[in-house]
This record gives sequence, structure tokens and C-alpha cells, in this order.
Amino acid sequence: MRIRCPSCGERDNGEFSYLGDAAPLRPDGMEASAEAMHDYVYLRDNRAGEMRELWYHGAGCRAWLVVTRDTRTHAIREVQPARDVAKARATTPAGSASHA
Amino acid sequence: MAEHATLWRPRGAWADTARPGRHGRREGPPGLIVTPREGLALASVTAVDGAEARLAEAIEARFGLSLPEPGGAHLSGEAGLVWSGPDQWLALGGARGDLDGLGAALRGAAAVADQSDGRAVLRLTGPDARRVLEKGVAVDLHPRAFGPGRTAVTAIAHIGVQIWQRDDRPTYDLAVARSFAGSLWTWLEAAAAEFGCEVRASA
Ligand SMILES: [Zn+2]
Repeated sequence: MRIRCPSCGERDNGEFSYLGDAAPLRPDGMEASAEAMHDYVYLRDNRAGEMRELWYHGAGCRAWLVVTRDTRTHAIREVQPARDVAKARATTPAGSASHA
Repeated sequence: MAEHATLWRPRGAWADTARPGRHGRREGPPGLIVTPREGLALASVTAVDGAEARLAEAIEARFGLSLPEPGGAHLSGEAGLVWSGPDQWLALGGARGDLDGLGAALRGAAAVADQSDGRAVLRLTGPDARRVLEKGVAVDLHPRAFGPGRTAVTAIAHIGVQIWQRDDRPTYDLAVARSFAGSLWTWLEAAAAEFGCEVRASA
């Protein structure tokens, strides 16, 4: 499998580390319930199909990426810098952010 | 209690590692010519979020070069800037001290950290230089995909390296974290053996 890094171009997946589902957002630790923190830390969906995942290009540009990948075929539809995704989320009006 | 006089001396990153002379295949001209590059000035430059335009201006004023786009290396002789990550560059100077004052010049626009003793740099040239590198990197270095003024941050034998091409003879500069210089050299000497390798005195 190869991942097309937006900065570095197509690279072997050995240059990347996998973190997992990009959907969970860290709750405010001072406000969140124990259940919400437990959900954030431990519970992950394991979908057969398209997922948005966090990958780290550690042996390249050292950027975090959000990779949209089909877990059944490894087909990659989109790769975005995680920084851009986070910035876009920050400018999205409150309440419209979705978990998926 | 005995007193110990300790004499600290600067030691090149490739001292006792890159032995000058002919290595590997003996017959014919060497396919790879290696020159350890000692005494360079190196610094990492990381843009402050939102100050990219100001950084580009300050770089232009200091180096007479524009900031390279991703994958680009803008060089003028031994000086220049090599892209090394999103909003990050490696600044180069041909001699120690050449980057003095860079931090002050870029204050507020970028974080600058001296890497002169942190990275070890080799210059690789010769008719088989590309073939040697291709044995270690999973990046296409063929002229259709790479060339003078291009850089790649990648890995050789699991060791993080940065390569930038200087000219189409071809000549490449390769930077590695200094503590990995010995390991990288072990790979290079083995990879170059079949082509014959001439190691020149450091410059
Ligand atoms: Zn990358």
C-alpha cells in the first residue's frame, strides 16, 4: 500500500505510522463525564468500508494526515493534512461538527 | 585525588568513519565519489503560523532566494534553503557563522534552531551516484521525477535522511542526524562497493 502525502508525493506505507479513526474528538477533560472520557479513550468503531483515519508521516515530512481509506480494499480516496482538517473544524459553527 | 586535564577538541561528524581512498570495486573509474561536508552552517527554520508572508520577505532579503515550495531546494552556491516539511526548511551556509544572526532576522516570523553539529552531510556524485541511492530510497530519483533543485525527506535502511540534488552530473547532498552517521556509512559503503567508491578528504 502506498499513501500519497500532500507534501511528499506517493510514499511506501512503511514511512507512516497508523493511529486509527480520525473521528473521535477529545472532550474537555474538565467538563466531560467519566463515560464520555471512557468512550473517547477506549471505544472505536471497526468498520468494513470507508474510514477517515489518522496517519503520521514520521519518516518523511513529519505531518499528521487524515486518510480516507476503504478498509476492505485499501483503496485511498483522499489524503488531507490533519492541520487543515482541524482548522476547517475550528471555523465550522458550533453544533454542526459531526462525530463521523 | 588526581587532577585530570581534559582537552576538548572539535571532531568532524565523519572523522574515522569516511576513510579517504578507494573502496569497493578496484577496476575502472569510481562510480561514486563521496566528499564529507564538514564545517557547514545548518539551521532549521519553522514558520510562525500566520507570518508566512513576512518570513518569505525576510528570507528573500537575506539570501536573495525565494522560499522553496514543498519538495524544492533553492540554492546559490553553498547557501540556500531546502524544504523539509510543511512550513519548515533547512537553511544552509557554506561556512560556520554564515547563518549567524538568522534567528534575530526572522524573529516573530520563524523559529530558528542551529543544526550545524546536529546533522552530518555528505556530497555524492559520479556516474553511479543515482544507482547507489536508488538501492536505499523508495523515492523515484529518475530525472523524469527528480532533479536539480528537488529534495526528499525519506529513509535509507530505516535511518531518516534528507536528500537534495544540486546538479545533473548528478550531484546530491545527503543529510542525516549526526548520531546516525556511522550507521548510514555502513549502508553506503556496502551499497557503493559494486560500483567502486572514491572517498575524498572532507571539504
Ligand atoms: Zn509527507
